[in-house]
Amino acid sequence: MSLRMSVGTLTFESPIILASGTCNFGRELSEYISFSRIGGICSKGLTLSPRLGNPGCRVAETPSGMLNSVGLQNPGIDYFLQNDLDFMSSLSTRVIVNVAGHDPDDYVRMTERLNDHSDQIDILELNLSCPNVKEGCMIIGSSPKEIFNLVALVRSITSIPLWVKLTPNVTSIADTALAAQEGGADAVVAINTLLGMAIDIRSARPILQNNTGGLSGPAIKPIALRMVNECSRVLSIPVVGCGGIMNYKDVLEFLIAGASLVEIGTATMVHPTTPECIINDLEKYTAENHIESLSDIVGTLKLWGV
Amino acid sequence: MKKEHRAELIDNKSMNSDSSLLVFRCPEIAEESRPGQFVNVSCSKFLKRPFGVNDTDSINGTFSIGVREVGEGSAEIRSLEPGALVDVLGPLGNYFPLENAKKLIMVGGGTGVYPLHFALKEARKANVQTIYICGFRCVSDSCLVDECEAFSDRFMITSDTGDVGIRGTVMDALYRLNENEYNDATVLSVGPEIMMKNVSQWAENIGLDCFVSLERRMACGIGMCLVCTCKIKTKNHDDLYENKRCCADGPIFNSREVVW
Ligand SMILES: Cc1cc2nc3c(=O)[nH]c(=O)nc-3n(C[C@H](O)[C@H](O)[C@H](O)COP(=O)(O)OP(=O)(O)OC[C@H]3O[C@@H](n4cnc5c(N)ncnc54)[C@H](O)[C@@H]3O)c2cc1C
Ligand SMILES: Cc1cc2nc3c(=O)[nH]c(=O)nc-3n(C[C@H](O)[C@H](O)[C@H](O)COP(=O)(O)O)c2cc1C
Ligand code: FES
Repeated sequence: MSLRMSVGTLTFESPIILASGTCNFGRELSEYISFSRIGGICSKGLTLSPRLGNPGCRVAETPSGMLNSVGLQNPGIDYFLQNDLDFMSSLSTRVIVNVAGHDPDDYVRMTERLNDHSDQIDILELNLSCPNVKEGCMIIGSSPKEIFNLVALVRSITSIPLWVKLTPNVTSIADTALAAQEGGADAVVAINTLLGMAIDIRSARPILQNNTGGLSGPAIKPIALRMVNECSRVLSIPVVGCGGIMNYKDVLEFLIAGASLVEIGTATMVHPTTPECIINDLEKYTAENHIESLSDIVGTLKLWGV
Repeated sequence: MKKEHRAELIDNKSMNSDSSLLVFRCPEIAEESRPGQFVNVSCSKFLKRPFGVNDTDSINGTFSIGVREVGEGSAEIRSLEPGALVDVLGPLGNYFPLENAKKLIMVGGGTGVYPLHFALKEARKANVQTIYICGFRCVSDSCLVDECEAFSDRFMITSDTGDVGIRGTVMDALYRLNENEYNDATVLSVGPEIMMKNVSQWAENIGLDCFVSLERRMACGIGMCLVCTCKIKTKNHDDLYENKRCCADGPIFNSREVVW
């Protein structure tokens, strides 16, 4: 039995995708796992020019999770295209390029660069949700109107399938998800990290030198599940679930809530072999429970009537 | 493929007021570790904890780490009892470039003496002449004193209180070395950042190469998440720097490249 999933025009070897920023460009992880059954890999969030990211301490451990304030450290899109894309496409899994911009013009210019390599790129993931940079990104991603404008703009200049990664730091994720759909997105990814803070009581200073950071890991799973479900109920395009997945049961919860695929981030940082373990466990689970295809359980959530 | 190991704690002995030496059985880590590398040890906290490799024994398939208790994770690891099984990732990171060293001056402070002990042992095996200097706050903080004295050609110990060795810091010991002693040496330093900075200034001023082991809060430990970065000068541009990963590009850096 295979874990293959068809979503939109693409098939994925499994619903397990490696989330942006938690596996760099795949080189380090390729020493620990085989990518043959991985559904896809998202690049580290790329920007038009190289970025050093934020200074000082960038990680704080929190109950059942962690805060990060990396701030999109990346070599820039041109360096990536010359030095990392070939490696990613050699991994025999779907290649998802995550891009983040200051303003719509940045996204346009990066998309134009990616268009020249569309044979090597399966999906363009618009990061409208990084909480660790001052401009663009989450600011755009907090306004349905700006999301619609940006997605429509990028849609008009590329035929690469477009995923929009949403931020949970909004009042209504259904509204931002709908804006992405109306703009022409092929899927939405929910969710990126939640804005948070950790404090050192001795110095009375935030542990992160950026003061705030993005919360990830099991701590955010209930929020992510709720948001995936909210999105899937209002959208006609697929939802990619993300947030706090540590094991195969978490994956099943997300599929039931309405996700067609899932992204795994922090769990891979805790144990590099987690993606493979989850795939093994899913294979066992589907065999034992005579599940023909995992897509049969997508969106099967039976809400209580309240 | 690399994998995460399940290591069994064989021995745990207290070394001083706040640290212990833990010996684990794990043949792969024992076989592969080189001085300067570290391992990432699981505990009940969400993230693993990094510790420098203190020693290996490839015949018995064991390696050891020195653990200083500074918070909940290290306290839990320090209190493990023989027989305990823990997940360990490693060996991780780069290592001291020992191959071409004619003579080594090693300067350790606090828990920095644990990873330096490994370098000292390897240097002895390779018949490289060594000067070993360690600094502590006071005698009850000191550790690995007899072992390191036995393995080194010249040994000096300092303490802030003066209740053991030279009163003062490792710098006071370094200043006692004469030109004959330090000529042609490579310096290795592990310990508090301010100590490593002072040691490397001393070394650079007299034209010696100095390698330091930087410490950052880590998450993945294998170079994927970019939370552990250190400011490292861009090659051929003294005024530009890059953010290198402590866990994967380091933890060992040439002190001339470090932006302190
Ligand atoms: C490459 C490397 C090698 C190390 N080698 C040794 C060693 O040989 N012996 C030893 O005793 N300690 C070593 N450390 C430090 C050790 O990892 C930390 O003391 C330990 O992780 C603290 O965990 P905790 O839960 O007890 O502390 P927490 O309660 O989490 O924090 C207490 C203090 O520890 C520091 N700390 C917390 N997490 C980390 C982390 N992941 N990395 C660095 N500092 C941290 C914090 O800044 C804080 O001041 C090393 C660290 C690194 C990065
Ligand atoms: C260290 C770190 C770096 C991240 N970098 C990015 C990034 O560059 N772009 C992005 O879209 N999301 C980034 N994320 C968010 C993750 O892709 C993911 O959405 C989030 O961590 C929630 O999933 P998780 O709980 O499985 O980690 C990052 C997360 C972490 C922990
Ligand atoms: S801890 Fe993840 S890159 Fe160093």
